[in-house]
Amino acid sequence: MSQLAINAVNVWKEYRIRHTLGGSQSSFKAVLNAPFNWMLRRSEEYPHLQKSEPFFALKGVSFEIEHGESVGLIGRNGSGKSTLLKILSRITRPSEGRITIYQQVNALLEVGTGFNAELSGRENIYLNGSFLGMKTSEIRQKFDEIVAFSEVEQFIDMPVKYYSSGMFVRLAFSVAVHLTPEILLLDEVLSVGDAGFQHKSMEKMRELLGSGATIILVSHNAQAIRDICKRAIWLDKGVIQRDGSSSVVEEEYRKFLEEPIS
Amino acid sequence: MDILKKKNGIVPIVITPPSSLELPDFRELWEYRGLFFFLIRRDIKLRFQQTVIGFLWVVLQPLIQMLIFYVILGVLINVPTNGIPYPIFFLSAFVVWQFFTQVVNNSAFSLVGNISVIIKSYFPRLALPLSTIANALIDFGVSFLVLQVFLLIDKNYPITYRYLLLPVLLVITIIFSSGVGLLFGALMVVFRDTKNLLNFILMMWMYVTPIMYPITIAPEKYRILFYFNPLTSLVDAYRWVFLGQGDLPRISFLSISILIATLIWFSGAIAFRAMENKIADVM
Repeated sequence: MSQLAINAVNVWKEYRIRHTLGGSQSSFKAVLNAPFNWMLRRSEEYPHLQKSEPFFALKGVSFEIEHGESVGLIGRNGSGKSTLLKILSRITRPSEGRITIYQQVNALLEVGTGFNAELSGRENIYLNGSFLGMKTSEIRQKFDEIVAFSEVEQFIDMPVKYYSSGMFVRLAFSVAVHLTPEILLLDEVLSVGDAGFQHKSMEKMRELLGSGATIILVSHNAQAIRDICKRAIWLDKGVIQRDGSSSVVEEEYRKFLEEPIS
Repeated sequence: MDILKKKNGIVPIVITPPSSLELPDFRELWEYRGLFFFLIRRDIKLRFQQTVIGFLWVVLQPLIQMLIFYVILGVLINVPTNGIPYPIFFLSAFVVWQFFTQVVNNSAFSLVGNISVIIKSYFPRLALPLSTIANALIDFGVSFLVLQVFLLIDKNYPITYRYLLLPVLLVITIIFSSGVGLLFGALMVVFRDTKNLLNFILMMWMYVTPIMYPITIAPEKYRILFYFNPLTSLVDAYRWVFLGQGDLPRISFLSISILIATLIWFSGAIAFRAMENKIADVM
């Protein structure tokens, strides 16, 4: 029988839209801020902007994803799909609800997280790998493979600021590609690089799926969703509109987009 | 919870709304020890790569500070130091102060300064401020050696059994400094003026700590006030180790110091934790 990989129950995410300059809502801050208000003249200049409004990026989202499934998250900008991915990646926490993840999870929200121009290619591989949640032994073991894949062998001990942008992206991407997650969370990363690179990454994705990994992909690229994902979840205004076979959901989403905006 | 346990031993990750009182997850920090190591290496490398004379700065810093205070307070004002040469008197406390400010400053900026990785990847955020301690320890070590050179030249202050207390003092110093740093790191997320506030507080803090002057220049009945500042007793203890000045710090004093430092660290860690849950939404 198939096993549960992710179980999300009634997930809400509330953001406070503040009209004041910076800072957050806590009373702690209000106390500290009080003596400085006269300096910044916040209250005098923007009396009408003092209040903050709630904005719900997710409104009670629930779903189950099984081991080995490939799920695309689609929706317009601001539909909540990136917020959902951020919550699944544990970058931010939900305001309400509960998500249980039953397998080892890696998130790939950008290529080259933590890359530093002053450090060498070698050092960046280790740093980036660690940020992505790889163990040091794992990076060491895959190091030669990563370097070979990136095709920057000769420059590996040179600061990456001397790399061409192509070399930089290849190196960053090859670290990402050598993750071996049980669950992979992806955000538009596929759009990086030239056609050849995109092809390579698609291949890698299929390889991962073949090995039984679970993939959740956020993308605006309908083709990528249909190619990789069997299932799609369409979010709009923080609510799941459709959840089902990717070709069907994708079709309905396209029709929705063609309609005049309600 | 047993039903949740998987065969292969992976404990499921449960994501819930943040609560206001969350303790740091030490087990997870340990799992991310690799990241610690590479963060430390990054910070050290960046620091010495971007400066022209690199490592020499670390040696020059205590020397230049010492020289300034020596000329102003030692020579011009002639602050009484109980017969101890001013450079030695100053350096024996400055090593502590330098470590303290570095840890506080670096921890305070660690969340805000690493925002680009925080919004793109998950890792225990506490690794950021804690990894900065290593860098400050390098400076501490260098300043310590500079002090030792001066002590060696003077010949009156040999290394004695008192140095056995040094590791204990260092642990208290690390915990206390890190705790204060975490508090400011948390504050920095909600309150941008913290940057200015921090400079101001640290400057004031240095003046109220008997680093450049001995506590004996204050009238006796007011001296107790100095001890509301935990650094005062620490500085005293370090001077006892290096210079044999004053009394052996009592075990009761040391235990209280450890207790206070630990309490401050945990309040810092809890505040930091509360803010790290917010930072991705705020910035």
